[in-house]
Amino acid sequence: MTLSMKNVSKVYKEGESQIIALDQVSMEVASGEFVAIIGPSGSGKSTFLSIAGALLKPSQGEVKIDNKNIATLKDKELSHLRLHEIGFILQTSNLMPYLNVLDNLLLLKKMSGKVTKQDGAFAKELLIELGLTDKFEKFPNELSGGERQRVAIARSFMNDSSLILADEPTASLDTNRANEVVSLISKEVKARGRAAIMVTHDERMLAYCDRVYRMEDGKLTLQ
Amino acid sequence: MFLALKELKHGKLRFTMIGLIIVLIAWLVFILSGLGNGLSTLSAATIKNWEAEHVVYENGAGAKFSKSLLSQSLQSKIEAQPGVEEVAPFSQAVIAILPIDGVAEGEDKVDAALLGIEASSFLHPEVIEGKAIEPTIKNGVVANITLKDQKGYAIGDVIAIDGSELNAKIIGFVENETFNHLPSLFANMDFVREYKYSAPGSNNGVEDAINAFAILGKVVDAIQMEKEVDGVEVVTKSSAINGMPGYTAENGTIMMMLVFLIVISAFVIAVFFYVLTIQKTQQFGVMKAIGASNGFIARAIVSQVFVLSFFSILIGIGLTYLTAMVFPEEMPFNLDPVLVIIYGIVLLVISVGSSLFSVRRISKIDPLTALGRVE
Repeated sequence: MTLSMKNVSKVYKEGESQIIALDQVSMEVASGEFVAIIGPSGSGKSTFLSIAGALLKPSQGEVKIDNKNIATLKDKELSHLRLHEIGFILQTSNLMPYLNVLDNLLLLKKMSGKVTKQDGAFAKELLIELGLTDKFEKFPNELSGGERQRVAIARSFMNDSSLILADEPTASLDTNRANEVVSLISKEVKARGRAAIMVTHDERMLAYCDRVYRMEDGKLTLQ
Repeated sequence: MFLALKELKHGKLRFTMIGLIIVLIAWLVFILSGLGNGLSTLSAATIKNWEAEHVVYENGAGAKFSKSLLSQSLQSKIEAQPGVEEVAPFSQAVIAILPIDGVAEGEDKVDAALLGIEASSFLHPEVIEGKAIEPTIKNGVVANITLKDQKGYAIGDVIAIDGSELNAKIIGFVENETFNHLPSLFANMDFVREYKYSAPGSNNGVEDAINAFAILGKVVDAIQMEKEVDGVEVVTKSSAINGMPGYTAENGTIMMMLVFLIVISAFVIAVFFYVLTIQKTQQFGVMKAIGASNGFIARAIVSQVFVLSFFSILIGIGLTYLTAMVFPEEMPFNLDPVLVIIYGIVLLVISVGSSLFSVRRISKIDPLTALGRVE
């Protein structure tokens, strides 16, 4: 299993009272699977994504990413895990504004050390697959919203990460662009054998997913 | 370096402005240090040029030549002290000089420091034109080159000393010799004595009066010498320099300005980079979410600040040398390359150090900010 969560709870203390953001959530995602989570705002989707993405540690329960228990990892090991095992596609404006498209992808390689020729070739291959053939040298502000999201998708696949997490990837896109972006994620997930979780409001996009979960008041149910 | 340089290249206007601030600060620091150095040279260049390690004054003179009166007969006793290699008597007077045939229309008398030494003494600086003073030419003097360059005196000129009937003859020139803010005029000790103590009783009854002795010798025990030789105080050369009239006050003022400037610039630079960092909180959050370690981001910030400051300081140095070229010649401005390098390094260390505040801030950024909705 690429991601396995068992009875995971997350409790926030707010003054005297407690807020249960996640309540005994269990879920498994294998490679090649594309899973969606829907739910109203405030239902705990972000908390779920933060824990699945090793940004946050659970109060209870066990989270394993690629068979590594994140509860036992230190901050430094967590960022190492994020860099090598997890690809994030965030809502908007998550590209470095002063790097061109190609450098935004290679930044991940820079973080883990040297950039090799193969890395450059791989980045270009990804960008071509995602229809960004003539955009290598463009800066994010010269791209449309859909193009920026496609760059973000390419970046999430750049480091051979086994788990892709997408947080509202279609939030600022019209229907055509949104369809295009989600179908690309789905295609890449299948083609490269990754596991992917997409948190979304957008019920139009569920057709691309293998399974759909609904999150309500911290509880996760399979639809 | 990768991130640092790419960002510098992309945000030219923003970083040019910050660079400009550093350039201006560096420029001001270097000009102040040049002025300080120039002033202190003007005040005591002749003493600074001495090879001597110690100076002997009359007890109670407080390292002031004008308050010190000794007899040259003490020389043999001082020479006999352990560690002393060579002893040279020294005497000084502030004078005004004028051409022998009177001051021309539109000209002024010139202030100078008349310095009495012995002809073969190690206190005699190297002449760059003409010849050194010698006992056979009793009224021969060697002047600082500024008297030639700025006042038009030449070798062979006979000059009158204001307020006395003595005439002197310029026989040579030296360079970078100023004493008490005045151009130095080296003369035979006897000549100076004749000028200073022509009135009966003006030497306090001291035979062969001089002002001080300069001592050559690295292992001289000053305290021991004060015990052995009656009525003297022995100080190091740097104390003698500090004893020059106005020297500590001038230097203190300039140093104070420099220190304040450097402290203020540390704050200014730190605030600039801090604000810049806070503006980029979201970006750093994203980088951390996709796996950047604190070290990676910190290196990017520090190397950026280093590159920016390094080139700004270099430009500041360049500007300073350019400004020095347009300063009027009389201005006491003297850039010491060693000082320029030291202050340059100090500024660099300060700006890189101040960026560490920003680095601390970054290490506290929660990668959750990247999700943009967790508060």
